[in-house]
Amino acid sequence: MIRITGGTVYDPKNGVNGVVRDVCLSEGKVVADVPAHARTIDARGMIVFPGGVDVHTHVAGAALNFARGLIPEQHRKARPVYHSPQCRAGIAGTTPTTFATGYVYAGMGWTTANEAAVPILSAKHTHEELRDTPIIDKCTCVLMANNEIILDLLENDEFERAKQVTAWQVWAAKAYGIKAVNPGGVAGWKWGKDCKGLAEVIPGYNKVTPRNVIQALARIADELALPHPVHLHCNNLGAPGNYTTTLETMKALEGNRAHMAHLQYHAYGGEDWFDMRSASVPIAEYFNAHPNLTCDAGAVLFGNTVTITADGPWQHLLYELTGKKWGNLDVENETGCGVVPYVYKEKNLVNAIQWAVGLELLLLITDPWRVCLTTDHPNGACFWRYPEILRLLMDREFRKEEIKKLPEKVLPRIVLPELDREYTLYEIAIITSAGPARTLGLEQKGHLGIGADADVAIYESRANPEEMFAHPRMVLKAGQVIVEEGEIRNVIDGNQFATKPNYDPAIEDFLRPLFQQQYTVQFDNYPVSEECVHGLNVHQCGSCLPKQ
Amino acid sequence: MSCTLGEVKNRADFIIYWGGNPAECHPRHFTRYALTPKGKFIPRGRKDRTMVLVDIRETPSAKAADIFLQVRPGKDFEMLSILRALVKNQKVSASAVAETGLTLEQLTDLVSRMKAAKFGVLFFGMGLSMTRGKHMNSAAALTLAAEMNAFTKFVAMPMRGHGNVTGADVIMRYTTTYPFGINLSRGYPRFNPGEYSTIDLLVRGDTDATLVLGADPGATMPKPAIEHLRRTPTIVLDPKVTHTSRLARVHFTTAPAGISAPGTAYRMDEVPLPLRPALKPSYLTDEEVLKRIVAAVKAKPPWYPAARDGAQIA
Repeated sequence: MIRITGGTVYDPKNGVNGVVRDVCLSEGKVVADVPAHARTIDARGMIVFPGGVDVHTHVAGAALNFARGLIPEQHRKARPVYHSPQCRAGIAGTTPTTFATGYVYAGMGWTTANEAAVPILSAKHTHEELRDTPIIDKCTCVLMANNEIILDLLENDEFERAKQVTAWQVWAAKAYGIKAVNPGGVAGWKWGKDCKGLAEVIPGYNKVTPRNVIQALARIADELALPHPVHLHCNNLGAPGNYTTTLETMKALEGNRAHMAHLQYHAYGGEDWFDMRSASVPIAEYFNAHPNLTCDAGAVLFGNTVTITADGPWQHLLYELTGKKWGNLDVENETGCGVVPYVYKEKNLVNAIQWAVGLELLLLITDPWRVCLTTDHPNGACFWRYPEILRLLMDREFRKEEIKKLPEKVLPRIVLPELDREYTLYEIAIITSAGPARTLGLEQKGHLGIGADADVAIYESRANPEEMFAHPRMVLKAGQVIVEEGEIRNVIDGNQFATKPNYDPAIEDFLRPLFQQQYTVQFDNYPVSEECVHGLNVHQCGSCLPKQ
Repeated sequence: MSCTLGEVKNRADFIIYWGGNPAECHPRHFTRYALTPKGKFIPRGRKDRTMVLVDIRETPSAKAADIFLQVRPGKDFEMLSILRALVKNQKVSASAVAETGLTLEQLTDLVSRMKAAKFGVLFFGMGLSMTRGKHMNSAAALTLAAEMNAFTKFVAMPMRGHGNVTGADVIMRYTTTYPFGINLSRGYPRFNPGEYSTIDLLVRGDTDATLVLGADPGATMPKPAIEHLRRTPTIVLDPKVTHTSRLARVHFTTAPAGISAPGTAYRMDEVPLPLRPALKPSYLTDEEVLKRIVAAVKAKPPWYPAARDGAQIA
């Protein structure tokens, strides 16, 4: 039992905006009061936030682990995590080890993370990694938009069956939500092709288009009443002029909920790499007017990183552009994955525009509840660099200084210099915690109301937000003190959230023979068993049984 | 640039095995994944696929091949480099081609077949990766496959074996970021193959004790390494008696995974498969033995003064 007393509390979900009040924790939950003998944490002069929630990150799984193996030269330069009585040895850096991932997230005040891209075939492996990712709670989104069983069903107009299969697959992967990456494009990549426009027929098919897939998956997520809407990585990522594809995609989603992942990568104007420009204004305008949508920024920071995505064709293009290392790992019948180490350079025109677009979207989207802070870790930058972005958002003068470092010819192509908005602490608490928790549908996360999970970050109030957010004074997870005086003092296991949509068990009779033909694993070896998922916390959701 | 084996089954119409003898070393590879099965886009199975074998001698796998290319021993890197040049329509010297033991016609024919494929795959074995040139050969094979993607879909995959070696690689990567050759003596992982890899450590005599898990270095390693294992305390966890267990100070007989112990095995393409034991274990599992060793070590007071005082190294 703990009482955090005297702190200035920011709890946007409950409308608490910088109020000095006590927060009481007992048995892992926020409670109304605790007895006098409870431990008291004196938080006078401090800022109290609900623990951070990351709506889109890549911290575990076959793709990330492939990337780890590809960049030993980056690990050599990275910050090591020393073995200690509390902590397992590891490496932080671009692709932290599983244990380091837990320590670094918690060390920054983040207590929940959504691993945004999991193939079903290797979901068992992802869960093994998440089991070894301590402290933070985790959930996953399973890759569906290039799943050939789903595409074949949509080609034959069998929507209802596609819904049953999706429901079965979400539970088979012990996933929380549905991810769609470059719908149809990754399937095309299996033949070395792509699918950039929404109306293009997917290579290898006669009829079905990315638009069909996007609309079907959005509808499926809604009809299954999944807590998190379809989590969408649009077609045509990273390409100049791609904002028209993004606008078309958002229009196709009218009438359904959807989460637009790493929107920064989908908001470019111009026609080619030489006249590329920011298109954050039209994207933000449309987005602001459509409350069915949420998004995360996918902001870019300058420096070394590695890009990892299921978007295989894009990674091949990036390999041809950079001439650097390239890893590709296609997953049978389901998805692809590409890995390319990358350096974002301040003096590079394209990179400077990307940097600006991420910030522009965060500043132009008016409702902070619908835009989450992410860097699409590690694609835009590593998650442990979030505090740098917070400073850029909260400090207009600092932002202006940073803009001065960009090449001059960038300035007419971006709108960032004209934006004067500064984020308040209340808004920061929304984009880092309350908003992503709401977007994920995790009702117990992202707030400090009674009954919420006792995940709390206590920051020193400082003029420089980067320093303030990089090193919380204390972090509590599930009511236990994890970080104290900037050190990890206590390591606990986190939970994993999964969703169990109802489905007709007869769907297995349909899937089993398909498996024998198309897969190289036995059907019974395919689903992840419940025992394999450590700290499994199941969200039961609405019925999807066939209508009588 | 790789893929899971189901992609090969469903799509690959052009298959190269290089420096491997799957007919004897991976006997199910042809029939389950690569050659004979009918796939989603390979309706006629073997008839829809072309298979090329590159090796220094005519192994039993050659019988299954449509084309057998006998490369001169130690000339794999040269042959790969020539193929890379031909893929890009660059000139190659006749003397360089002659060194490989193959003709220019054979090599240009191979390249045109690779380019004409819808989905090509290059499986490479230890005959490529562990012979003269070693990792340079693997890099050349992977680069060839990567560069082929400018023309068609092409992937490459090492033919791994030796039980669950892929699983060990996978887990080392997510706990340390490195696949092998890892040194934790400074309290955090460092990687330097050739310095920290097992044979190098043993031959130099850097280690004062060795724990061997699911491996038999006593059968395969160079003599000085084996001598060092014999000289220093070696602890072996293995279901059976091995060359290493015979020279070890301690041998724990453990339950064999997949027969009487559960677990996860990783296929060569890193697809995890659950192991469901058919029998009840009569011995402890590796995991249980290791847990007890760890608990016993933890119970001992630390030897270094800083930890005794409760100070932190970090």
